[in-house]
Amino acid sequence: MSSGKVINIALKGLSKNRLRTFLMMLGVIIGIATLTVIVSMAKGAQHKVMKSIANFGPNAVMVSAGGGKMFGPPDEKTATLTIEDANAIKESIKGIRHISPFTVNLEQNIIYGNMNTTSPVVGVTPEFADAWQWYAEQGDFISDEDNSGMSRNCMIGKTIVKELFGDQNPIGESIRVNNTNFKVVGVLSARGSSPHGMDMDRRVMVPLTTAMKRLYNVTYIGMIRLYAEDPAKLGDISNSVAALLRERHHITPPQEDDFRVTSTEAMAKTVKGVSKTLTTFLMLLSLISLGVGGIVIANIMFISVNERKKEIGIRRAFGARAKDIMNQFLCEALIVTLLGGIAGTLLGIGITKGIAVLKKMPAMISWEPFVLAVLFSTIVGIAAGLQPAKRAAAMDPVQAIKG
Amino acid sequence: MIELREITKTYKKDGNLEVKVLEGINLEIKSGEFVAIMAPSGMGKSTLMNIVGCLDKPSSGAYFLDGVEVDTMNDDDLSRTRNKKIGFVFQSFNLLQKTTALENVELPLIYSPEDIDIKARAKASLEAVGLGDRTTHVPSELSGGQQQRVAIARALVNNPALILADEPTGNLDSASSDEVMNIFNKLNQDGRTIVLVTHESDVAEKAGRIIRMKDGRIVSDERRAK
Ligand SMILES: Nc1ncnc2c1ncn2[C@@H]1O[C@H](COP(=O)(O)OP(=O)(O)O)[C@@H](O)[C@H]1O
Ligand SMILES: [Mg+2]
Repeated sequence: MSSGKVINIALKGLSKNRLRTFLMMLGVIIGIATLTVIVSMAKGAQHKVMKSIANFGPNAVMVSAGGGKMFGPPDEKTATLTIEDANAIKESIKGIRHISPFTVNLEQNIIYGNMNTTSPVVGVTPEFADAWQWYAEQGDFISDEDNSGMSRNCMIGKTIVKELFGDQNPIGESIRVNNTNFKVVGVLSARGSSPHGMDMDRRVMVPLTTAMKRLYNVTYIGMIRLYAEDPAKLGDISNSVAALLRERHHITPPQEDDFRVTSTEAMAKTVKGVSKTLTTFLMLLSLISLGVGGIVIANIMFISVNERKKEIGIRRAFGARAKDIMNQFLCEALIVTLLGGIAGTLLGIGITKGIAVLKKMPAMISWEPFVLAVLFSTIVGIAAGLQPAKRAAAMDPVQAIKG
Repeated sequence: MIELREITKTYKKDGNLEVKVLEGINLEIKSGEFVAIMAPSGMGKSTLMNIVGCLDKPSSGAYFLDGVEVDTMNDDDLSRTRNKKIGFVFQSFNLLQKTTALENVELPLIYSPEDIDIKARAKASLEAVGLGDRTTHVPSELSGGQQQRVAIARALVNNPALILADEPTGNLDSASSDEVMNIFNKLNQDGRTIVLVTHESDVAEKAGRIIRMKDGRIVSDERRAK
């Protein structure tokens, strides 16, 4: 018997009792919808995280002052990281292509004319550009001369340009940073958000020496950014840096480190770890709902096979073989689960889009949910339909036709 | 065409109680005959029809259909035989509910391995029983006589050599009964073999040969000139 005929018979059978068909589908719809939402949200979240990790830099190691703190610049208590530390790292650790010590001061007042905003102010050396792979899109980067002369030149990020200057060209204009006048010499290229969700285009960059001596009068720096030659060596470099700094800062266990070393590798690991546990849990949940859906289908199918004894007997009397009956019921189960799967995927996409808009969460609609839906629907359909279909096929025609 | 030798059928009731329904049926039916089998209700007419129709197997004895011993056939062969050689007509019509007359008639063709224009053949078969204008009606929208004619169209559609009718007029009024019997007569004139069971003698009268059964055996077998 051709599969077209089988599908035709199955479709007719299903259309004769639409309520029953819908009830059979419901479990699969819910299960697959859940699965779709989970996959789309997880992919969206992962995509966003990976993008911001890529922003952090695939070759980067970051040394931050302060041990326990998760992120942010140092305060007085953790003011232990110095330019000398940076020089020592540069001299004694191999595999570092660029090294950039810098300071960070959050929430500084920035004024242009009668416009004002707040921004982190970062004190940088020219090597910052290569270490971050982050350059001036317009104008110049902070130079060595700026540093040796403690100049009052600065660079600003795109967000600051938009907020203070609008469409006006900021190059050559004068802005006030923390009550000191600076001349804008460069505009930084757009960078997007950091792994921690900060807007990296809200930045004012000044020469490192100017920041330390003129603006804030400090002897310590906030962070050191390293750019490794080989991303595979990030782990080794991180360990060597930590060991060197412990020695220089006279830290012996059980004393805690007064600095922190972070690399993309480590970040990616934690992020992936967290999202994996969550995804696994939610996957399990949707698999359970699919399993329950399958059990519901199997039960309704058993009832349906019993109710349709007479139909089975009539079909057998006019030439249906046992396997034709088997295929008919198995096909009905498969159509139910596949249609349920497709409906579930579409519903899931709808819900995902709703959540993405309402909760401002990232979501990625991709082909995976469709493939998963077809796969799981087929499995559930066969698993749930097989036993009822076998029972239908095994019926004695004479008994069946009596109803 | 049909040869039954010492056919018996015993049903096991719950416990060990056995009910002997057929106790040695010997019967030969030639191609082209119109045979009526008569017996009162509960005397094993349907049981015999199911055996002849390859739906059921006898407890003992041998059944040859077109020279082939039915006992040697497997389930698929039996299904093919029912599809190709036999057309059933039942007392209670046994049409698929919520299914149009046309789709009911299509049923045997769907299970036929041959490549057939199913719709056209089913339509022609309905026209042959005078129901060409009722193709889209479902059984609940048809009278008893019309339903039985749909059932006959279904029995005929795959052009079987043998029509088995189990009390086909049992649920019909006399006008419809006459209509149905006229159709059988015509089919027989066209060369089809018809075996019909009934407990009504006026129905049996229409056949060319009347076989009477009692207590699981054949008690008389009379041929009548037309
Ligand atoms: N599956 C069965 N199990 C037990 N007894 C049966 C079964 N089928 C039929 N019988 C019995 O066999 C006898 C003959 O039945 P049946 O062939 O239907 O008679 P008829 O068609 O002549 O009315 C009846 O007494 C009936 O109760
Ligand atoms: Mg009967």
